[in-house]
Amino acid sequence: MNYETIKKHPVLKSLLISLFAAILFLPFKDIKSSTILFAIMFIFISAVLLIKKSQILPALPKIRWAPPHFLRAASVPSVIMVFILLPFYLNDYYLDVLIMSGIYMLLALGLNIIVGFTGLLNLGFAAFYAIGAYTYAVVNTKLGLDFWVSVPLSAGITALSGIVLAIPALRLRGDYLAIVTLGFGEIARLVLNNWDSLTNGPNGITGIARPSLFGASLDKLNTYYYLVFIFVAIAVIIIRRVECSRIGRAWISIKENEIAASSLGINTTKYKLYAFGFGTVWAGIAGILFASKMQFVSPESFTFMESVLILSMVIVGGLGNTFGAIAGAFILVLLPELLREVQSYRMLILGIALVLLMLFRPQGILGGFKSVHFRR
Amino acid sequence: MLKLLSIHTSYGHIKALKDIDIEIAKGEIVCLIGSNGAGKTTTLLTISGILKPDSGDMIFEGESLKNMAPHNVVNKGICQVPEGRRIFPRLTVSENLEMGAYSIGKRQKTKGKQYNMEKVFNLFPVLKERTKQMGGTLSGGEQQMLAIGRALMANPKLLLLDEPSLGLAPIMVSKIFKTIKEINEEGVTILLVEQNAKAALRLSHRGYVLENGVIKLSGRGEDLLHNENVKKAYLGD
Repeated sequence: MNYETIKKHPVLKSLLISLFAAILFLPFKDIKSSTILFAIMFIFISAVLLIKKSQILPALPKIRWAPPHFLRAASVPSVIMVFILLPFYLNDYYLDVLIMSGIYMLLALGLNIIVGFTGLLNLGFAAFYAIGAYTYAVVNTKLGLDFWVSVPLSAGITALSGIVLAIPALRLRGDYLAIVTLGFGEIARLVLNNWDSLTNGPNGITGIARPSLFGASLDKLNTYYYLVFIFVAIAVIIIRRVECSRIGRAWISIKENEIAASSLGINTTKYKLYAFGFGTVWAGIAGILFASKMQFVSPESFTFMESVLILSMVIVGGLGNTFGAIAGAFILVLLPELLREVQSYRMLILGIALVLLMLFRPQGILGGFKSVHFRR
Repeated sequence: MLKLLSIHTSYGHIKALKDIDIEIAKGEIVCLIGSNGAGKTTTLLTISGILKPDSGDMIFEGESLKNMAPHNVVNKGICQVPEGRRIFPRLTVSENLEMGAYSIGKRQKTKGKQYNMEKVFNLFPVLKERTKQMGGTLSGGEQQMLAIGRALMANPKLLLLDEPSLGLAPIMVSKIFKTIKEINEEGVTILLVEQNAKAALRLSHRGYVLENGVIKLSGRGEDLLHNENVKKAYLGD
């Protein structure tokens, strides 16, 4: 029995949906209430689906609901307001989780440019995250440069390393490119692990300074939260602008069909380099935010698993969708935290949830929606 | 307009083109026929700069194309419709067409873009009905129209068509060939590569017959159509 038949069968479909909900519910309540939830959902969804299939009820007219203008106009400011007000209602633990999700949002946004827009599979993205973090760690502890000077420095050095990797790697395509980037990720980690004089090896670098603004140190969690989300907002605005520009269109055409793209006069090598450079910039900024938040960096934080996690965020959110990358990062940082109560089953449940998500929405959460608007 | 002077091209050790001389005058339809592996597509890829020739030279309007990158060749006004259509499957028809005008952005203002879009819709009215449809959902014939239309968006002086009849129903083939003639009558020079030798020769002013990377015959389309050797080898009668 394949997946399509499951989808069409009302009872099986409702069984899967309620099972999924019950598993997600498990961490918050005991097994009894989960079972009750499962039973109620199963009966209700089956009933609805069966009624729908039997066509007892007249077919409802399809309504395309377009939100009224004032709602659409109000949506962006209200989201911003929620983000501004959030720290007043959350405790430090959740604030910390949100800050980490913000850092991962930057990483997912950056990787989305390379994998989602341009279609270049990159399995070593954590290397650029590491380069950004270590750049700040080194220039701050050895040269005493402060955070704001280091932001462009970190971003620049990371982008440069991205381009330097891309120049030889872009001769390869598809799986081969993925393997080269994977290799680069491991090389970067091993270099950090063994270059004792610069990186202090596996012990890492400690005593990295927190950022300060007009002499006031931004060391409280809520100020840090604002700092991270201001960077996320800037990233979204810039990426959206680039996405809708000539460069963004060139990226998408390369992903869709590289031969056709070059037959239309697009310099594919140049735009692939742009994608690597522009994508890794955000990894560099995520790195500096991470290093200054933790005040400590070590090679352990930048393993292959980290690259895989960032890639999962992009895929779960929906390849090639800027807001999808944000949603993916948010969910994949938040979900493991919410599942903390089931402890050792945490990763198992997370895995099941991801498999089910990919089965039911292979295009990702926001993947079905087009995020590029070709303007005319 | 375009002159190929003793071009040699190879894939690694394998010599695909040996001493190819081709000349295309402004306003002509020239076809390149030959069996599988004769080097037809290789010739087009060499002109468009995707493959680099080992020796020889290519002159387009007095300028050598020999060491030019593919995107610069397009900017000179040579557009290729690649074999197997290669449209952008997840972009809509109008987005596909707009991508065709990519190289124009630098040469002309958007006015030319709009004008070309109308021209393409006049040539292929079906596309106008499907502007919002994804390219990948079109039929084979419509995709071929889209691919040709997309190349026309760049205002080419010379259009390179690689097997436009490939995999199409006979009725679609004659439609596409009719349109190629129309495009030519509007002043676009055309180099056509075809397996369907009969239809291609009928349409073309002149033709070249390729065999194992060498030009065996050349001449006016009609003459080739009645040539005994060509008849035996490619026309099947």
